[in-house]
Amino acid sequence: MTEWSILWEARETFISGLGNTLLLFVCSIVIAFVLGCVVVYLLEAGSALSTTLRILINLMRTLPFLILAYLLYYGLPQLGLKMSAWSAGLLALIIYHAAYFAEILRGSRLVLAEGYVEAAKAHGFTPLRMFIRIVLPQLMIKTRPLLGNQLIIALKDTAFLTIITVQELTAAANSAQATYFIPTQAFVVVIALYWLISICLELALKWAGRFGAKRGFDYV
Amino acid sequence: MSDTPAVSIKRLSKSFGDIEVLRDIDLSVNKGEVVSVLGSSGSGKSTMLRCINWLEVPDRGTIHIAGKRIGVNEGAGRPMNNKELAGMRARTGMVFQGFNLWPHLTVLQNVMEAPVYVKGMHKEEARAIAEALLEKVGMSDKQGAYPFTLSGGQKQRVSIARALAMSPEVILFDEPTSALDPERVGEVLTVMKNLSSEGYTMIVVTHEMEFARAVSDQVVFLEKGIIIEKSAPATFFNNPQTERVRKFLEISA
Amino acid sequence: MNGQAWLLLLEGAWTTLWISGIAIAIGVVLGLGIALVRMARVPFVDQLLVLYISLARATPLVTLVLFLFLSAPTFGIGMNRNTAAIVALTLNTAAFNAEIWRAAFLSFSREQKEAALACGMTGGVFFRRIMLSQMITSSLPGLVNEMSFLIKGSPAIAIIGIVDLTRVTNRISAVTYDPLPPILAAALLYMLIISVLLKLQAIAEKKANRLAM
Repeated sequence: MTEWSILWEARETFISGLGNTLLLFVCSIVIAFVLGCVVVYLLEAGSALSTTLRILINLMRTLPFLILAYLLYYGLPQLGLKMSAWSAGLLALIIYHAAYFAEILRGSRLVLAEGYVEAAKAHGFTPLRMFIRIVLPQLMIKTRPLLGNQLIIALKDTAFLTIITVQELTAAANSAQATYFIPTQAFVVVIALYWLISICLELALKWAGRFGAKRGFDYV
Repeated sequence: MSDTPAVSIKRLSKSFGDIEVLRDIDLSVNKGEVVSVLGSSGSGKSTMLRCINWLEVPDRGTIHIAGKRIGVNEGAGRPMNNKELAGMRARTGMVFQGFNLWPHLTVLQNVMEAPVYVKGMHKEEARAIAEALLEKVGMSDKQGAYPFTLSGGQKQRVSIARALAMSPEVILFDEPTSALDPERVGEVLTVMKNLSSEGYTMIVVTHEMEFARAVSDQVVFLEKGIIIEKSAPATFFNNPQTERVRKFLEISA
Repeated sequence: MNGQAWLLLLEGAWTTLWISGIAIAIGVVLGLGIALVRMARVPFVDQLLVLYISLARATPLVTLVLFLFLSAPTFGIGMNRNTAAIVALTLNTAAFNAEIWRAAFLSFSREQKEAALACGMTGGVFFRRIMLSQMITSSLPGLVNEMSFLIKGSPAIAIIGIVDLTRVTNRISAVTYDPLPPILAAALLYMLIISVLLKLQAIAEKKANRLAM
């Protein structure tokens, strides 16, 4: 049997690993993005949580992702909060990337022309409705490249979860090569898969760019 | 009921730091009236206008819109919260010098946005109103266009339609033509003249003397935060009562 | 956490720092080299480099480290853990740095080159005496940013058993049965290191802005 046909035999492991990676990725970025938007709104509304949120965001910018995952998976049980590797991994992805999304959106909010906000106020928009209908769409269009970049970072961060025993794509390659002694082939396939997914993301990003271009938004 | 002024300003005062921008302003605007507000730069005209819909918060004084006080919840004895302010502002319209059309929405969507998402109107109803208003300001053929493709005059006309869509008690115009090329000014003033003859209540901060003379019911002149003359156009332009206004008209002639 | 645990932690921190340090140093220079070769637009090589950059930016560090460590023997290359870690981190960071350097090149004003040529300078002299130092100043914020990303990604090397600042917390808690304190302490040390880098980045940004290119 050639090494490649061995690989084909082991395809179940890879498919399952890929499925887990995609599931973790999609679930985490959707929730993280919504959370990031909520955080930006709370910061804008000047809620009592503002200082805490700002500290948390800055914290995430100075911590490695894996340490957060470690904290949730190895550290929390000591406080009585036990969670599976999957849950800890997902939660870490959500919290970490929500902070980065919030920072990206907040940066754009600071330079948004106040005129749009004033016009919304003058027409009777409450702060929440104004944020959702008027402010957020513009922020998303303007920060599209940065958001897309963050998506690719989030995809790569899922691989860190191998270290806390989540059976995602990299773990699949690891397990396949340990069983069948085909390290090169296993990892070539897996790297190709990561590459494929990120190319799809970049294409989706380009397509999303038309949305902004149609409306006259300048972007790089 | 027809005695209640559309806008009633009493003893309005505002300072920015040490600078007193408005001092004891009294102004009453009746329903259907058009009031032009003139004055040199820094006289406080825009600030006064922006106090009416509480975009600027006065230091002292009261402002009533159609009989209801804005900015302060008198029943509860405290300043209005965001929701209450939004409710009051929904009853006024504002047209800005910089147009401020929302760039991610089409012309039609811009006009429909507030009725649907502030008033909760059904989209079909809002669309019908928006289309009619765009017809009125002469922008029907640009319904599906995005603001960045429009000229200044076109943007401002859409902006007027957007303000009208909420059926406001009063429309506030903050130097609506100051940012326009001279050729574009006319198309906007025409729309505003038509509105005045349809009976809309309008307060217009402007430098356009011809417009003020032709269309206003009241002309108000602000200087360093005080109203120094308030009269009908005929009096104001032909027989000004104050020296300062006379000088102003000379320079502007 | 007693003194011995702190000692272990600091050893882990040192491991992280020296492995990352070598990768950063080589990666910055390698990135410059790649960017220069790309600017020369050598036909076949350019496509190869584009492929490399695209792959390197899309591959997770964990996967790359594991791949290199496990595959190298099958090609007859003996690689110990530390070497594999350094090579993986370097390959990854060099790709990002190449793009940062290239962006600086592309945004360099053409007028300066034209002025230099008009004075009789050759391209090489112009590059060495005039362009390079400005390139460094304007690339520095991006490069320092990438350095902090590298440190944040360095825990990936734990997968092949290197006892870095993250992995060492497992070691400590295996003895003390107290996982939370070492993790918090490690977090603190990472925060320190990365905060210093972010501070340096802010300074670099100020200097780059004064260039106003």
